[in-house]
Amino acid sequence: MKKIRWGRLFAYLILTFFAIITVFPFIYMILGGLMSFQETTTIPPTIIPKNPQWGNYASVFAQAPFARYFLNTFITASVTTIVSLFNAILGAFAMVNLRFKGKNFVQIVLLSLLMVPGEAIIFTNYNTVAKMGLLNTYLGLVLPFLTSIFYMYYLQSYFGAISRTIYKAAKIDGASDWEYIWKILVPMSRGGLFTVGLLSFISGWNSFLWPLLVTNEDSMRLLNNGLTNFASDAGSETQLQLAAATLTVLPILVLYFIFRKQIIRGVVRNDLKG
Amino acid sequence: MNDENFVQVKNLRKVYENGHEAIKDVSFSVKKGDLVCLLGPSGCGKTTIFNMLAGLLTPTSGDILFDGKSVVKTAPKDRQIGYVFQNYALYPHMTVLQNVMFPLTVGKNKRPKAEAEKVARKYMNLTQIDEFADQKPDQLSGGQQQRVAIARALVQEPKILLMDEPLSNLDARLRLKIREEIRSLVKKVGITTLFVTHDQEEALSIGDKIILFNDGVIQQDDLGQNLYSEPNNYFVANFVGNPVIDNFSVEVKDGKVTGSDFEIAVSDLKQDRFKHELKDGKYVLSVRPENILPAESGNVKVTIQDIELIGRERILKFNHDGIQARSLVDLETPIKAGDNINLKMRLDRIFIFTPEGERVY
Repeated sequence: MKKIRWGRLFAYLILTFFAIITVFPFIYMILGGLMSFQETTTIPPTIIPKNPQWGNYASVFAQAPFARYFLNTFITASVTTIVSLFNAILGAFAMVNLRFKGKNFVQIVLLSLLMVPGEAIIFTNYNTVAKMGLLNTYLGLVLPFLTSIFYMYYLQSYFGAISRTIYKAAKIDGASDWEYIWKILVPMSRGGLFTVGLLSFISGWNSFLWPLLVTNEDSMRLLNNGLTNFASDAGSETQLQLAAATLTVLPILVLYFIFRKQIIRGVVRNDLKG
Repeated sequence: MNDENFVQVKNLRKVYENGHEAIKDVSFSVKKGDLVCLLGPSGCGKTTIFNMLAGLLTPTSGDILFDGKSVVKTAPKDRQIGYVFQNYALYPHMTVLQNVMFPLTVGKNKRPKAEAEKVARKYMNLTQIDEFADQKPDQLSGGQQQRVAIARALVQEPKILLMDEPLSNLDARLRLKIREEIRSLVKKVGITTLFVTHDQEEALSIGDKIILFNDGVIQQDDLGQNLYSEPNNYFVANFVGNPVIDNFSVEVKDGKVTGSDFEIAVSDLKQDRFKHELKDGKYVLSVRPENILPAESGNVKVTIQDIELIGRERILKFNHDGIQARSLVDLETPIKAGDNINLKMRLDRIFIFTPEGERVY
């Protein structure tokens, strides 16, 4: 007879418990988006909708410009990702491969800036952007996120893992730094760049506080702010709120499911959230 | 024009930022088309010199001339050199063909793709790697990767080929094969080659000439056989040769060289081999194991402790005055471990060094 391993059983029980606690709101959000108004408000609460109300989604799109929110979010997340990745590649390359005076000092300054939470400088950034007249513009939405010390630092560890002789070999082969970056460094670090790109896109997609500050026109809102706005506008229509919430997180959930390996590897690697 | 001094290094010196003086006043020259080995123990400065030749490091002082022109201020890519790295430094994301073509697809050597491929194929054929053209480096064996690295170094048709310990990552048997291949290849191409190694056997077999380094200084710049038979100093005598040379502490007094249990009359030594006057005092007498052999008339009495077989010869190991020493004899010599025998030195082949390592005889 097999011996029951109590420790293991206990571990699984705890894991299951926390898994349920974590996942339940998501499940309920998705299911709730398909319920009728009565089902979302009855006590005891309904878990499985009797007749899935797909029409809720049509109502959401009809009541608020969610398509526009999607587009806005997609544009800002993509632009931030591409530009910040580009800058991070150049910065990380310089820190890893180039020799220049004050390199250590620059590194220390950058690292200490990394310690400053984004919320601490958000109002300074707001003032700057407002004075530049960039409120309610795409540029205003993306400007503070076009460089990221964190991503640069993250890529440094990838680039640093590439043998230095590869760089020397490329130099002797006649490649310029620019050619080295695009023909060798980037193709060799595809895994790391992909992870950084993904993390950047997700955090761009999920951004909330900054777009809330710099936009007040409906046409410039991003998904998350649109959702908050919708929640107050749609008032008591809880089933529509849940459907809208599902819409918002759906693309990210899909990304997670497709690329979970890369995301987990990326997050575990630095013990930090992107 | 400068064929005799195709590569010329003059009073080269390198002091690292941490104050370490890696290279102290090194000068040498290399003949066009020669294959020269830079030999020395790890950390002797070979690779530092190489990096300066390639332009990856800037010398603290001194000059480097290629074909009569100073290149100290020239960027690596403009020095017309090929470089083969110890770990090959192949680009892992490119196929063999792309690796070999790479130097022709970047910088000022950039050529149309078809032309670059044609040149690359030529050198891949020369190094016999045609069949791997579409494979990635990690699918190749060490020897094959080595050839890819050589083909990539040659594809720019450089004037000088630098090879930094190119064989050290290969297993022993392959190393023998590849080193012959390298020699015949560079001779076929006719390129001037500098080859760094810490393996004396490799240097002796591959090099037209050997420059032996230690402590950032040239110990001897000579033909391989001269390093062996006429070492400049104690370091060279001990670094070159396998089995290693036997060293005996001796004292010179009253016209005699006296060891712990043997005596040699100074008058028995060949007079024309003296480099300096042999004054009274303490010295080290060194003799290659094949020049100290069993003989009835021998004046060094020893007990054989152990016998090691190396192919067609045997090494008789004995302890003399607390130091392990060796005699190299034929396979047939009927001597067993434990035997007491007499050994005789060939006096025209022994060396005498001062305690500082300077050669006197």
